[in-house]
Amino acid sequence: MSDEALVPFFAGSDDEDTTMSTVEPTEHNPIVGEKRLFLPGDSDEDDGELVQRGSSVDIDAMDIADIPRASSIGASSMSECISISSDSEEEAPPAPKIKQKYPPTKKRRLSTSSVLPSDKIKFPIFLGEFLVPNAWSAISGSGYVKTNDMVKIEREVDHSNYADPDAKRKTKAYGKKKTNGSGMKQVSLASMLKSQPTKAFKRKTSDIIVRLVTDRGVEFGRLPQEVAWWASKLIDLGVVEMRGKMTDCPSKLTVGANLIVSIDVYLLASAFKPMDLTGDEDRPVMFSEGLETLGEKSLRERKSAVLKLFNVIGLRPQAGANVDRETSPREIQEEALAALQGTQVNQQKVKKHIEIVGDGEEIEVEDGENLSKSDLDIIYKRAQHHDQSMGEMEPADSFTLTLRGYQKQALFWMDSLESGKMNAREANSIHPLWSSYAFPPKPDGQFIDLTKDEKLFYLNPYSGEMSLKFPRSERNCKGVGLGKTIMISALIQSNLGIDESNENVSISKQRQLKLNNAFRSSKGRKNKLPSPPSATLIVAPTALIDQWGEELERSSKPGTFKVIVWHGQNRSDLNTVLEDEDEDEGEEGHTKPIKVIITSYGTLASEHAKAEKSSSPVFDVIWLRAVLDESHQCRSRNSKTAKAVYALKARRRWAVTGTPIVNKLEDLYSLLKFLDFKPWADFSFFNSFISLPFLARDPKGIEVVQVILESILLRREKNMLDSEGNKIVDLPPKEIIVENLEFTPMERKIYDSIYNSAKKNFDQLSAKGLLSKKYTHILAMLMRLRRACLHPNLVFTANDERALSPVGDGIVNVNEMIKKFAEDEDQSSVFAQAVIADLDDQAEVPSECPVCLDVMESPMIVPECLHRCCKDCITTYIATCEMKGEETKCPSCSRGPIKQSDLVEVIRPLPNSQDSHPDVILRRNDLPSSTKLTALVRDLHRIHATDTAFRAVIFSQFTSFLDLIETAMERENFDHYRYDGTLDVKKRHAVITAFKEESKKPKVLCISLKAGGVGLNLTVANHVFMMDCWFNSATENQAIDRVHRLGQSKTVYVKHYIVDNTIEGRILKIQKRKTALVKEAFRGSGKAKDGKETPDSIENLKIMFGES
Amino acid sequence: MAGLPKRIIKETERLVADPAPGITAAPHEDNLRYFDVTIQGPEGSPFSSGVFNLELFLPEEYPMAPPKVRFLTKIYHPNIDKLGRICLDILKDKWSPALQIRTVLLSVQALLSAPNPDDPLATDVAKHYKENEKDAQRVSREWTEKYASG
Repeated sequence: MSDEALVPFFAGSDDEDTTMSTVEPTEHNPIVGEKRLFLPGDSDEDDGELVQRGSSVDIDAMDIADIPRASSIGASSMSECISISSDSEEEAPPAPKIKQKYPPTKKRRLSTSSVLPSDKIKFPIFLGEFLVPNAWSAISGSGYVKTNDMVKIEREVDHSNYADPDAKRKTKAYGKKKTNGSGMKQVSLASMLKSQPTKAFKRKTSDIIVRLVTDRGVEFGRLPQEVAWWASKLIDLGVVEMRGKMTDCPSKLTVGANLIVSIDVYLLASAFKPMDLTGDEDRPVMFSEGLETLGEKSLRERKSAVLKLFNVIGLRPQAGANVDRETSPREIQEEALAALQGTQVNQQKVKKHIEIVGDGEEIEVEDGENLSKSDLDIIYKRAQHHDQSMGEMEPADSFTLTLRGYQKQALFWMDSLESGKMNAREANSIHPLWSSYAFPPKPDGQFIDLTKDEKLFYLNPYSGEMSLKFPRSERNCKGVGLGKTIMISALIQSNLGIDESNENVSISKQRQLKLNNAFRSSKGRKNKLPSPPSATLIVAPTALIDQWGEELERSSKPGTFKVIVWHGQNRSDLNTVLEDEDEDEGEEGHTKPIKVIITSYGTLASEHAKAEKSSSPVFDVIWLRAVLDESHQCRSRNSKTAKAVYALKARRRWAVTGTPIVNKLEDLYSLLKFLDFKPWADFSFFNSFISLPFLARDPKGIEVVQVILESILLRREKNMLDSEGNKIVDLPPKEIIVENLEFTPMERKIYDSIYNSAKKNFDQLSAKGLLSKKYTHILAMLMRLRRACLHPNLVFTANDERALSPVGDGIVNVNEMIKKFAEDEDQSSVFAQAVIADLDDQAEVPSECPVCLDVMESPMIVPECLHRCCKDCITTYIATCEMKGEETKCPSCSRGPIKQSDLVEVIRPLPNSQDSHPDVILRRNDLPSSTKLTALVRDLHRIHATDTAFRAVIFSQFTSFLDLIETAMERENFDHYRYDGTLDVKKRHAVITAFKEESKKPKVLCISLKAGGVGLNLTVANHVFMMDCWFNSATENQAIDRVHRLGQSKTVYVKHYIVDNTIEGRILKIQKRKTALVKEAFRGSGKAKDGKETPDSIENLKIMFGES
Repeated sequence: MAGLPKRIIKETERLVADPAPGITAAPHEDNLRYFDVTIQGPEGSPFSSGVFNLELFLPEEYPMAPPKVRFLTKIYHPNIDKLGRICLDILKDKWSPALQIRTVLLSVQALLSAPNPDDPLATDVAKHYKENEKDAQRVSREWTEKYASG
């Protein structure tokens, strides 16, 4: 060790320890003077001291930053630290003692659960022992230690009272700040007493040396590295104290000699201090995203070290998480071990892409971990576990609709959460993240035997946190699935928040909702206001704003609600509106209307942008309740929408959505953040314990999510059963028919040619290894194939001759056609007249098609010569000619060329049609049909035959196909409506209203799957047609649920068209395969809790998250 | 073979029930798309005394594609080659699905009455017909007697 080494240490303080006050050497002297606690002869006195120490330490007042843990980093490298000192009688005490000397730092977030019952248990408390057979000697010579000597296990040698020649130099280090590479903000006293070699802080990794020191303070040996890596962490972090006993050693030590040491482990009071996780909440996301922050790293290290220790000393949990799951801590630990030893955590390369969220806001999202629907089922499973037996609650009188049983349950649950009652679900079960451990008896009885009254302590194997207090599950609010709107309406009416003035209630509410500091201060302000906040803010997608308003009105007695839509240009002054209400309240007392403001995500986001410059009322008002509808709209935490939502001030927060997790687990984070559900609302925490384990394919990630959701999520699915085993919703049956269709030969040829070229392309790319690079290209090819399944027109380019653009309704005037025929060809119109006459009474004298020699079916007329053929015959013929490159001619007279679109179709009006004046309609054949379109038209006519006023909803992903369907509907004379993403709010509303209007005629609604797949309520219809299939069956089911939902009184018929031997069949296979794989993987995820989890399921998980 | 299209069944029925004069066509029992055809040489032609055997096959695409017809009996004709192949526009590019077996065979019969040496298939026969029609017709008659009157 050299003087030069000291200088850069002082100068080079990297300011990460600014919270640390310099500790003067004098402060340490009294400590240093204290006796060692664990010398056999001293034990009785030490007990007293220990008690005192445990109770007097103001641990709960200190921030986590006070946990001493930095000494390891600051430790000298070993060659510099071998100090020989035989005259120091007294030793530096273990960590907890030192801590008393720290100036208490400001109190930060202090959860009640973290208060230590330190008066009950005396620290340090014996935790277990283990044997280290391969410690090694670091010095030579005899007389240092002999078998059965007590040995101190220390991170640092206390040099302070060495009388060795180095002492003078070492004193220079006193009182100096110390830096450390890992960015921890604290430094232990011991490290301050020591000089620091430059090396120590140049290295980013902290050293892990654990020293063996004689009772005279002489370091004579080290623990082997495989023990030291975790032991050093635990000692540094103030979790444990270790006391060794020399089991065997050679009488004369040589450097490297093998020592066998048995080590007793004592848990320190500081182990139970709350962990601070809020430190880097606001870190800039720009560059640190995806990287582990230092805080996260230290958390993870602590966690793995604790688990390793428990493993080594053989401590097994009695109850709670991981009981009987021996592998689990081990896995966690191994993963962490790998990270600790320098193989850095998976530096996941994240692909960024643009995603549209909210009202068209574009943001960059990471394409990291996407979840399949089946993962989600697993994730939600636990949240739904206990729901059957939940209590029910009647809504307020003003609520006009009848609630179903499960809705009453939900109301009860929601109300309980808002009122701070915790008994909605059984809350006495242990917090699922925690395991309970019993303190083991210390074998040699010298120490106070705490095990008589079975003292328990608790460990969170996911965070490494420990607690003496029973970790009760926290509840928060979120979720719901069916009849969300109604539920919220009932809640708003039932829980008016009038009793808010009761301070006790408020406090419990505060705790329950975990209000943050900023919010607390606003609460203080609130008390000065004349009335507590009573308004509810509902944030909904633009499309659903009107629906909310309607539903609220519908579900309540008139005058119950005062609904204000705060959206678009005419946003009224919120403050005025709210103040008005306050006055109303004063005058009318109880009958005041409940104020509900409805706004959109877009509005909120733009207000938020404004609010950065000036204040915006919506963010100043303290809402009684903020409700996010379809809250997955703000799932990206960096989006403007999400940030705006976080900025809302509300007493009670609800997020309702059908899909809390859309693609990836991080979607959930945004909701937790809005709900302010600590500690998960902290991103580093979320990242450490959920995202990263999940990315590492650690099932723990999912388990943690399950646990979180269990506490805060109420999820309903239509097929859930109530306590009596009945379905919670008694919906009329749903018949799903998948109809397999055959392509016409022409479609088949078109499809095959596209398929073959795509396949060839794909194989080439595959051979060149360019599949991943050309990913979008492949997707485009797939898209083209899927379009080809729908309609040939969708794959032709605009200038392709075959691409026909239908014009108008295509109706041709008979007389004009005859006239034209006569003029053009100088032929007598007699023939033409005869043809037309024949059309009229064809029923009596059936004409034969010249091609199929059969009775003509839907005859087509070649306009130039008026020859007729079946529609199928002539279109097939024309298509064949086009294929061969031959000229198209009239089959009868070889007049040509003729065009598909010139042909005129003879339509006989439907037998039961109302209007009967035209006997025959002639229509241009410029709308070529397709297999699916024909099937659709056929089925619609079939329905029409039995139900003259049916309503049908037709879904397709392709708006261009919807165009064709609409044209077909026009021609088939069905009233048709169109709903897609291009419509603005007003138009959307108008379309839906018009569709729902009473009518004696059938109505058909064509909906784009993306625009209308969620949220809409279309129970007026009971026929659903799915024209194409989506990769994710959940999306399809969502769409069907627009019709098959509460309020539906008829059987719902769903028709799904699939063309055989096309890519559609494969998409279905993918859907099925996914489902099957996941079912297999999680077969008995409930059993897993009983310890029957097989390696199989983990293997399956890998497959599922892997290349499947 | 897949089910026979309705049209083929209908045509076959009509050929049997109402045969064209001088023409017979009967499908094979084991292959209903394959027909044994006889055509009588038209009056006033060098082929008048003979009865010619032909085969006719309806391909899968029929009636979108023309039937395949071939003379089995040797014939000296400028539009029919040694192998019996026939050069007739409706059997090629002028085919229309409105045509039928009957119309095809009538066309073949008509071809015997009106050879067209300007669009030959058997070039030597066509040359003979062009240079010395009388002599060519004589050969045709000889061939008819020799091959088509059994």
